[in-house]
Amino acid sequence: MPEYTLATLGAMLVAVVVDLRVLRTRLLTQRTFLLSLGIMFFFQIFVDGWLTKLSSPIVIYAAEHASGIRVFFDSPIEDFGFGFALILGVCSVWDALAARDARRGGRP
Amino acid sequence: MDRFQYLAVMAACVAITLPLEFVLGARVWRRPGRLVRSIAAVAIPFLVWDVIAIARGHWTFSERYTTGWIVAAGVPVEEVTFFAVIPVCALLTLGAVRRMRGEGSR
Repeated sequence: MPEYTLATLGAMLVAVVVDLRVLRTRLLTQRTFLLSLGIMFFFQIFVDGWLTKLSSPIVIYAAEHASGIRVFFDSPIEDFGFGFALILGVCSVWDALAARDARRGGRP
Repeated sequence: MDRFQYLAVMAACVAITLPLEFVLGARVWRRPGRLVRSIAAVAIPFLVWDVIAIARGHWTFSERYTTGWIVAAGVPVEEVTFFAVIPVCALLTLGAVRRMRGEGSR
């Protein structure tokens, strides 16, 4: 498997384990988070697409390190797994910090 | 001005998501401590990934559309900006959706 593809799957797995098992924020079980994720993926199509479009790319991907599947505006499909891990990771940490603050009697 | 294009995309992401905080009521920018810690927790591992990916040639950056300013280990300033801006956009989206669904904004 190409390295970027493999790294993406690994990052997605880590983010899922962090959410469900490590921080136990369980965002993946919340409809609100899944709705938010859908909204973010929609906007990623355009932002990522601007960075990756093959007509004038800002970020240039080595063909041998990715699956070669390009979606929407030539985004490597891996970018959406990368986005999933980044989004889920930051939201999970945020909620864990919020829960910790709430336990300490701070602002919810 | 072409070389500021990547940074301009990042600036646009910040500008476009700003109303989520000040119109829809997400509380992300107003929790700077939690925001900085949340960004750091994901930006650091993702920047490590970026360093490795750049070193191994997984991706490169257009000389035309980037400033050419390398922060460290081959990582352009645009990438560091990316790993701060995109998490902010994600948190604002989640915060705004929670507010709109009446779940409050954590």
